[in-house]
Amino acid sequence: MSKKQKLIIIGGSAGGPSAAARAKRVNPYLEVTMFEQGPFVSYGS
Amino acid sequence: MVRTPRQFKEKQDIEVKTEHRVTKIDPKEKKVEVVNLAKSEREWVPYDKLIIATGARSRRLNIPGSNALNIFTLKDLQDGIRIRNYVDEKRPRRGAILGGGFIGLEMCEAFRLRDMETFLFCRRDLPAGNLEREISEKILKELEENDVHFMAYYEPVVFHLNSHGEVTSFETTQGSYPVDIVLIAAGVIPNVEIAQEAGVELGKTGAIRTDAAQKTNLSDIYVAGDCCEVFNLISQDWVHTPLGDIANKQGRVAGENGAGGKATFLGVVGSAAFKVFELEVAFTGLGTRAAKQYGFDVDSQMIEAESKVGYMPGAKPIFIKLIFERKSGRLLGAQMTGKEGVARRINTLAVALHQKMTIDEIARLDFAYAPPFSAPLDPILIAAEQAAKKIVR
Repeated sequence: MSKKQKLIIIGGSAGGPSAAARAKRVNPYLEVTMFEQGPFVSYGS
Repeated sequence: MVRTPRQFKEKQDIEVKTEHRVTKIDPKEKKVEVVNLAKSEREWVPYDKLIIATGARSRRLNIPGSNALNIFTLKDLQDGIRIRNYVDEKRPRRGAILGGGFIGLEMCEAFRLRDMETFLFCRRDLPAGNLEREISEKILKELEENDVHFMAYYEPVVFHLNSHGEVTSFETTQGSYPVDIVLIAAGVIPNVEIAQEAGVELGKTGAIRTDAAQKTNLSDIYVAGDCCEVFNLISQDWVHTPLGDIANKQGRVAGENGAGGKATFLGVVGSAAFKVFELEVAFTGLGTRAAKQYGFDVDSQMIEAESKVGYMPGAKPIFIKLIFERKSGRLLGAQMTGKEGVARRINTLAVALHQKMTIDEIARLDFAYAPPFSAPLDPILIAAEQAAKKIVR
């Protein structure tokens, strides 16, 4: 087995968190990192 | 706030790094440059798959004085907190809102709730200028009933500042107005810069080009949300429709495909709703102007009906305008306003658009009826029945 696949997500407002959650559900072995420049994520604006 | 970074980690094993800005994408080496804003540290982080969800930012005005301390835009939670703190601290008495779109309209209510004399400056003659005139006129009436001063045909010239760097007056082509706080609600610009620099293609709207799999032109890079385009199923055109519900749907597809799946997102019909004081406004599909621009032979029908049986408490008038193809009778769009039962009702017509239904098919739909919910003939059925008489086959 090769090393864990890495998924990086740029942005944590709406599209980013949805992508992160779905990716992890599809492949629980995926290493998911989400970067957000602001202090909040998933802030629903 | 929906979730915190800690909840992401504990519940879903997702690493979330706030106050981390991605400044570069290297698609050849498959890595991104990340700046830890708190520590001003920079590092390159490798990826196998990348999802760009950089969102959009508020458009600002390019006129002198635009950087004043009391000029705000409203996009995210922080912006809202900043505005509220300023209002709490300085108790502004006169507020100016620039832009008659739904952010500007919703903020009229917020300003009035804080007892501000509120001025809504608009470049056109009516608020929500992208909607049908009949709908915009109802919105104008609602603004006036709530003591908002609607300023039509304004062009901004300059903000005059005091020695503290605060705007005290707003000069327009129509004259000068004393103000204590200004909100600029002039739409958003997609955040495409780092993507573009890396060679990611943009569409004609200036947002990132994508497809039904949320792919970009670069391999292993996907995109979702306000930074990218979305396919409009009615106009069959790629458009920029920056809305959170679309971002979530695109995000799921990008996430699934980024994890090795095969999901698709076919597009939107263009639905949205907002509230102006007591008035609900909702629309789906194309308006008359857009439908004509896309080459449809357009007709339309506006009706007024009761939100439920007239003798029931809370029955309110609903106005519906249906936009349809003259010969085939195919529904192209619908716009609705009223003080009750509007925002949910539009979804029925969104389904009709997805299914390419005609006006006469809609007129025969079997809707649930009981006096507390609707009239025996739902306003949508009345509208469709009236519109069907105009179809020339």
